[in-house]
Amino acid sequence: MNHWRISVLAALLASITAGAAAQIPKPATGNLTIAFAAEATMLDPAKSSAGVDQYFFGQIYEQLVRPDPSLKRVNWLAESWSVEDEGGKPVIDVHLRQGVKFHTGDTLTSDDFAFAYNRLRDNKVSKWSHLQASVEAFEIVDPYHFRIHFKQGDGSYVADNLQLWAMSKAYFDRVGDETFGNTPVGTGPWKFVSRTIKEDLKLEAFDDYWNPTQRPTVKNLTIKIIPEDLTRVAAFKTGAVDWIDSVPPSMVEEFRKMPGVTTASYVSPNNMYIAMDAIDDAVPMHDVRVRQAAAYAIDVDAIIKSVLFGQGERYAEVGKGEIGYDSDLKPYPYDPKKARALLAEAGYPRGFDIPCYNLTTQREPYQKEMGEAVFAYLSAAGIRCKVQGQEYGAWISFGRRDRPGHIDGFYSNMWGHGLPGDPGTPWAGHVHTYVPGAGWGITSVHSDPELDALIEQLKATMDLPERDALIRKIARIKHDRVAGGLTTYRPIVTFAWHDNVTFVGWPTPGFWRNLQQIGLKQ
Amino acid sequence: MSRFLLHRLLQGLVSIVGASIVIFLISRLSGDPVQILLPSDATPEMIAETRRTLGLDLPLWHQYVIFAWDALRGDFGRSYRWQMPALRLILDRLPATILLAVCGLIFSVAVAVPVGVLSAVRPGGWTDRVGRIFAMLGQAMPAFWVGLLLILLFAVQLNWLPAFGYGGVSHIIMPAIALGWYPVAAQTRIVRSAMRDVLDSDYIRLSRALGTPERWIVWKYALRNAAVPLLTMLGVYFAAMLGGAFVVETIFAWPGVGRTVVEAVFSRDFPVVQAGVLFTSILFVLSNLLVDLTYGIVDPRIRDDR
Repeated sequence: MNHWRISVLAALLASITAGAAAQIPKPATGNLTIAFAAEATMLDPAKSSAGVDQYFFGQIYEQLVRPDPSLKRVNWLAESWSVEDEGGKPVIDVHLRQGVKFHTGDTLTSDDFAFAYNRLRDNKVSKWSHLQASVEAFEIVDPYHFRIHFKQGDGSYVADNLQLWAMSKAYFDRVGDETFGNTPVGTGPWKFVSRTIKEDLKLEAFDDYWNPTQRPTVKNLTIKIIPEDLTRVAAFKTGAVDWIDSVPPSMVEEFRKMPGVTTASYVSPNNMYIAMDAIDDAVPMHDVRVRQAAAYAIDVDAIIKSVLFGQGERYAEVGKGEIGYDSDLKPYPYDPKKARALLAEAGYPRGFDIPCYNLTTQREPYQKEMGEAVFAYLSAAGIRCKVQGQEYGAWISFGRRDRPGHIDGFYSNMWGHGLPGDPGTPWAGHVHTYVPGAGWGITSVHSDPELDALIEQLKATMDLPERDALIRKIARIKHDRVAGGLTTYRPIVTFAWHDNVTFVGWPTPGFWRNLQQIGLKQ
Repeated sequence: MSRFLLHRLLQGLVSIVGASIVIFLISRLSGDPVQILLPSDATPEMIAETRRTLGLDLPLWHQYVIFAWDALRGDFGRSYRWQMPALRLILDRLPATILLAVCGLIFSVAVAVPVGVLSAVRPGGWTDRVGRIFAMLGQAMPAFWVGLLLILLFAVQLNWLPAFGYGGVSHIIMPAIALGWYPVAAQTRIVRSAMRDVLDSDYIRLSRALGTPERWIVWKYALRNAAVPLLTMLGVYFAAMLGGAFVVETIFAWPGVGRTVVEAVFSRDFPVVQAGVLFTSILFVLSNLLVDLTYGIVDPRIRDDR
């Protein structure tokens, strides 16, 4: 071989090696301590009983599809997927990404998703079995290819990121149910190390993580649990922790101006709204004019500014970034004169007295005060609220329709629906007419046959562009008729970190606290 | 003495059984845990299945019999939320709460006794006036406020102590002060009042007439007699601290049983509430029993009467 040929070959080899080296991530190093305000209870996605559980298991487990930092839905453990028609029934055809490993070293295959499906649909294990109710069968084609057969269309399945979490069948078979739940093993960027309830969760970056570019760059992570706002802030200011979630709304501006600190704010997927009884002929809100009057009577923008310190985003039926968001659909403006006129037109020139139920347990910052302000605005317009506070347990039970009686006035409510968000499931719950035992309208105090038909159509629609169009249509009708409650705001959550930390905000399906890309500056 | 002890133990047992019945009934009257446990769009079938799995579909008396029988064997059931034995959840956290309550009590006594004694020795003097202001401040400042002020001063401004958490001696100082702050006021008043009574008594006057040094009279003779009313209250304060530690535990992210039980109340996690309350009742009974036994040490007349 000629000398120049050898040189060219060597140069080529060197460039390939350098390219490959650039692809190989540097091993994660260092320790980082951060703090969350709330603590997960369960580490097992199937046994999880609250959205907050994703704060922990969302770092360890992964799904087939997920939203990226810009809320664009991206294939994750699924290399590709499609919805197909087979004999008039829908089928989701999934090709798995190859080379993905669990923290135990086992390779992720279709068997693991079959196991996850069976575990998630078992109502003796899972609190989420109803989400698999439309699935007829799970078919394994080969280790990296499976098909989910549906009895009928289930739009929520697609809209909610294909529902399934990757769980290791081999690990479960080896350790059994108890250890599987307490010592979780997933494919995610973080490996479980230990957990002390009410204190912390310790994680370690997974060296064999499949995604070389979007991964943590710090080796050891400790998540402390500090529920009290001011203590969490103090821990941050003293440097005991370098990253915190849930900066108190009243301190967000101070944090933004703090030297050596970076903040990021995200709109949470929790949709706040004011439910109102519209099914009883006897109640004034049965009349659409009264519901519209209520909508015009409340200055939501002023409440966001003064009660929430600006840490809320107003929305009309569908939040920005969600499927079906319509920028032309504007919230009702504050117009107390129009509110009084509508009340008079509906036969209530002197207004009326009505019970108004407020949640007193803080699920979102200043939510109790928000409710009080809303009810004060209603009272000022003539809808005189007799405010009754309810703690969380009582409030949950009170809002459900599968109890004797139902809400007989206004009711401060919310419905989270994950990220990027799709209102299909929430609307099936609080806009659709209540149908006992059928799963429709479980918290609904509204009845509108036209909306019912559209929501049922939405439930069956798995094609995302079709869904988008249908949601826009329903949103407009819902908005005009103030059906299923009056939408108010979505809370804004703010994270803060010291300048020695690098952080990119990723959502898990339900929350923004995913630590996919966090590290220390080199 | 042993008869007295047996009598108090039996009384304590009745109190514990009574507490278990009350908490069992009250927790069940407070609402349905299943609706909190399941997602809001859960089907009625899922709700019924979960209720059956948790045994909540049985009549109330039947649920209590199962609970009492299992509790006697040390099984308080599994936490609905945490999916682990309720007893383990409580016992793992109990040492942190006991440590906090003991340190809070030590702080309150360590402050209340000297301040109370000095106030009583010179009534109307500057020590008495300062003592009264101190007592007033103690009762006017709730634990959460004291806790936040301590964090701002000693953690944020001075950087002397950690703002939160459970660990070494430095971690316990601020929580103990925050918890013990409120009882300081009442204890100071008790000590002052008891000391005044004792210092006016005949045997103290006799001691003075015999030329016994004032320091001995105050700190040895008078304080020993004045300690009985304070001792009586210490059992109650200790129990109140165990029960009231929730606020301090939340502020300092202290992993105690108070926070666990209060959160369990909100989530209707009956097994945890029952185990937590029962163990707090047992501690309450034991601390009062300990106080009763201590009387005899402080005042031999009480021991002899028994």
